[in-house]
Amino acid sequence: MQLFFQTVVGGLSLGAIYALVALGFSLVYRTMGLVNFAHAGVVMVGAHVATTFYLFAKLPFAIAMAVAIGVTAAIGLVIERVLRPLENKDFDLMLIGTIGFGTVLEALAILRWGATGTAVPSPVRTAPLDLFGVRVRTYDLVVLGVAALATVLLVWFLHSTKRGAAMQAVAMDHEAATAVGIHVGRSNAIAFAIGAGLAALAGGLVGPLLYVSPAMGGSLGIKGFAGAIMGGFGSIPGAILGGLAIGVLDSFAAGHFQGYSELVTFLVFTVIIMVRPTGVFGERTVSRA
Amino acid sequence: MKLRLSLLAVVGIALWFLPYGLGPYAIHVVDIAIIFALLAVGLGLAMGVAGQINLAQVAFFGVSAYAVAILTARAGFGFWTAAVLAMVATLATGMVVGIPALRMQSHYLGIVTLGLALAFTNWVTNAELSGGAEGLGGIPVPPMFGIDLFSEYLYYYLELIVFAIALGFGMFVVRTRIGRRMRAMRDDALAAGAVGVEIPRLRMLAFAIASVYGGLAGVLYAGLIRYVAPETFSLANMFLLLAMVIIGGRQSLLGCVVGAVGLTLVREALVEFATYAQLAFGAVVVLMVVFAPTGLAGIPARVRRRFSRGQSALARAQLQPFAPSDVGDSRPESLAEPPPDLVASDLVASDLVASDLVASDLVASDLVAQRTSVARTGAEQAEAAARMILEVAKVTMRFRGLTALDGVSLAVREGEIRGIVGPNGSGKTTLFNIVSGLYRATAGKVAFDGEVVSRKRPYELSLLGVARTFQNLRLFATMTVRENVLVALDRSRTAWAWRYPLWPVGVWRGDAWLRAEADRLLAAYGLSEFADVLPSALPYGIQRRVEIARAMAGRPRLLLLDEPAAGLNADEVEQLATIVRAIRASGVTVVVIEHNMGLVMSLCEQITVLASGRVIAEGTPAQVVADTAVIEAYLGDARMLEAMT
Amino acid sequence: MTDLVVEGLSVHYGAVRAVNNINFRVPAGHAVGIIGANGAGKTSTLRALMGLVPRSSGRVSLGGKDLTGVPARHMVRHGVGYVPEGRHVFPGLSVEKNLLLGAYTRKWRTQTSEPLAEVFELFPVLAEMRGRLAGALSGGQQQMLAIGRALMSRPRLMLLDEPSMGLSPKLIADIARVLARLRSEGIGLLLVEQNAKLTFEVAGGCLVMENGEVAMEGASEQLRHDPRVRKVYLGM
Repeated sequence: MQLFFQTVVGGLSLGAIYALVALGFSLVYRTMGLVNFAHAGVVMVGAHVATTFYLFAKLPFAIAMAVAIGVTAAIGLVIERVLRPLENKDFDLMLIGTIGFGTVLEALAILRWGATGTAVPSPVRTAPLDLFGVRVRTYDLVVLGVAALATVLLVWFLHSTKRGAAMQAVAMDHEAATAVGIHVGRSNAIAFAIGAGLAALAGGLVGPLLYVSPAMGGSLGIKGFAGAIMGGFGSIPGAILGGLAIGVLDSFAAGHFQGYSELVTFLVFTVIIMVRPTGVFGERTVSRA
Repeated sequence: MKLRLSLLAVVGIALWFLPYGLGPYAIHVVDIAIIFALLAVGLGLAMGVAGQINLAQVAFFGVSAYAVAILTARAGFGFWTAAVLAMVATLATGMVVGIPALRMQSHYLGIVTLGLALAFTNWVTNAELSGGAEGLGGIPVPPMFGIDLFSEYLYYYLELIVFAIALGFGMFVVRTRIGRRMRAMRDDALAAGAVGVEIPRLRMLAFAIASVYGGLAGVLYAGLIRYVAPETFSLANMFLLLAMVIIGGRQSLLGCVVGAVGLTLVREALVEFATYAQLAFGAVVVLMVVFAPTGLAGIPARVRRRFSRGQSALARAQLQPFAPSDVGDSRPESLAEPPPDLVASDLVASDLVASDLVASDLVASDLVAQRTSVARTGAEQAEAAARMILEVAKVTMRFRGLTALDGVSLAVREGEIRGIVGPNGSGKTTLFNIVSGLYRATAGKVAFDGEVVSRKRPYELSLLGVARTFQNLRLFATMTVRENVLVALDRSRTAWAWRYPLWPVGVWRGDAWLRAEADRLLAAYGLSEFADVLPSALPYGIQRRVEIARAMAGRPRLLLLDEPAAGLNADEVEQLATIVRAIRASGVTVVVIEHNMGLVMSLCEQITVLASGRVIAEGTPAQVVADTAVIEAYLGDARMLEAMT
Repeated sequence: MTDLVVEGLSVHYGAVRAVNNINFRVPAGHAVGIIGANGAGKTSTLRALMGLVPRSSGRVSLGGKDLTGVPARHMVRHGVGYVPEGRHVFPGLSVEKNLLLGAYTRKWRTQTSEPLAEVFELFPVLAEMRGRLAGALSGGQQQMLAIGRALMSRPRLMLLDEPSMGLSPKLIADIARVLARLRSEGIGLLLVEQNAKLTFEVAGGCLVMENGEVAMEGASEQLRHDPRVRKVYLGM
């Protein structure tokens, strides 16, 4: 029983990371209908930038993260601008375009930081806590806390600000949005930038949990993506739930199947998706009519 | 044609003598290039031709190579036995990967195929059977005609022959009915379903074909390198493959080959700067996607279009007069008898209803129809006239709180021309979409010729004899007028495809027969001079007629026309009326949604009026026009009518 | 004088000519109607004015200012309010949020409370449902919301595309009343409609479009008795 809870708790912090990745995916999807395969690359770049500023420039962890978010947001803007001509026209081509960008990001990362990775020590040096017999690392709590805060901020932005409302409006009806004066392209760019920022947050936070290397984006990206889809692509609560669920599922798979954990996670994901393609909360997206 | 053959001969000779000029490293690179070319062709067939996102191609490659490795190194099978078993395993994998394609497309399919590819990599990296992260060696040298193919020079010839056959087969598929159907599905899956393409099976077939190419590549790779390791089948190589196909031109198999060979050579040249090469590939893919989506292979066509003067001539093209006597005539005059070897097994009248309609069955149905049309006496005609070919019973359609149709019922008699009219937003197209299977009604039933068809998919309805045109014209944009018609003419089921590997002559003959039929149909509709033109180059009125010809190519019994007169001038509307009347005279029931009231009044015998999702009137044109409810729906007030007389 | 002047407007969709060289004018504070059967080009005209579809030719000016090159999202800044065909409210947002978005080009904190109050006064039912999701509203309520949303930017000219579509006669009468009131407040109206009765009541002058061209035009009083209008609609 205790092992069960331990596994669940162990899966939650990585799950929170996946949830952040999933949030980024879902946000871009619900506003632009774009599935961004470069997202994983952005996560990876975010992780590297944060690590560089944290370990080598010796900046406080939080500042390093902020810098990383700024850099990836800029990358997000570039990607959106380049692919803008394809928006609302050919989704398959846009998908492939983002794959191309992902490849470019990975290559740039290898050129700048080398192919071998870095281990990142945890920024929080206190001993793990003991809650009802379950061991919880302090850093895990930090991750969960930051992820929760980011989600709250995102939801506040979408529901309580003019730009946030505009972003939602564009997702629902981009023509009506244009008619009331909203610049659809710019709104999409901001959505992209926020999505990229969330990716950087995820990447930066995951450093102390996993190993930071140019190859890390693949696994994180895929699992975040799977979480987003399972929760219902385009849904904010769905992304959170899906990400956490994948994290916990992964944790159990790792416990029982060790190296095969990815295989198991994937098979489970495929089955769930086949049974209910729109995910738990259903897919919400731009009206493509 | 002669030019092509001589070009082919020159290329063939050059390729045959290529190894003589190359050193051992170079021939190794060439051998690798051919393997990637095979993979690229397979990927191109699935993604470029059939429009299926297939990020598992590298996994097919891996399954095959690893299967050969495991079966030879671990289980002790001979190379070729292992190769055959590996192909079977790969094909099975392809079918499994194709299952998600039945339910999802685009990004979902992308993530699932990618996931399955990753799962494969994960498995081989961990399993003992596959040698773990280090891989598996010890694959025996493949023997051929007593010689061990140890030399990479000799291996080149093996690869060349396999590749030539595979590429030839691929091009054969693309140019015949399966390829046409795949292209139609890629261009517009909705319209393809409406003309009878069995979309789910075709998607599965696309993955199966891609996996066969992956399998061949895997076998050749295992025989060449004789060592398999997880890195070769990684995501990185999947993206490289993707780059090859995108840069070369995914819709053209030759483009895929050029992309594969080109990128392999570039990668080898830049092997010192592998990361820069990766950067370059990624950047080029992005640029291609935005600026040249048809890849390198598409450039000649774009250049041609830029400089073409023929555009304006086409834009002013006139429709030839429509020849009413031919369109409904079910006797193929140009082909009095079917090709002899197809007659025996299939020419039975009962085959009309059988599931496997072969080209010859078309002739059978022609003869039967000929017999029935001749034999129809007055009594039989009266009986036929009383039969309801389409019955809609209390159909309701709700979309998220909006009720588009509310308890709509109507019945159309066989042989009628029925008009469906109503103000904007009254639910007319929704009704068509339900009848043709695009939507599933929230409540109510639809029956076609007595059979309940409410839950049937568009292609099933097409095969039963329902055809339609679309309000916004859905022609297959990358296919010529003739090809559009050919897709619809082909009434065979996907299972017919077994003839491709086992009886290609039958495929060829069937295609010749289809082409003759297509030409006849195009001539009847006055479209012969546009047969080889893309729809986008034609004036709107001609495109509309093409869509009608395509719908009729499937020999339907019920034709649904959705606003066929929209955008036509007065002359074209006249011709449209003539066409519709001739179509009805050939025994097809026609239901027309229209706003052009003049056309509706003169053409239709009965009119059903919809407003706000309900039937508000039904009757002859004269009755309907005098109906106060109708006038109110349109003009807003019945009293206005009096004020206007 | 904020007259709308349209000269030589043509719209092509690829090879199809949807609108062919039409000219008309909406005098400031007046209401003009465009009626005709479906496919006549009415909606295309309105969308071309808004810049939502490209104009293949023509000049548009409002109050003397040339709007020909102005992109769609700037039209609202020039005082044009647009009520699209089929309402197009933002279904997942509340009624109030929808209205606020109508005033997107203004500062929400300081410049929206007055227009909001005015819209609620015009459409009391919207005030009752201000917290409901727009997608849950009935067709008539959504139509009011769409009109209200366009009013939030205090336009000088409103373009309305088939506001009566799918509505019951009573609701259509309500809409007519609202439009008449807007007209009396000096807001210009360009009303595209299939419902001739509504148009004749609200608009002083009308154009009748057929096949992308202006087949007839004149004062509503005269057109209302003209048998040719009936032919355009009913074909006989």
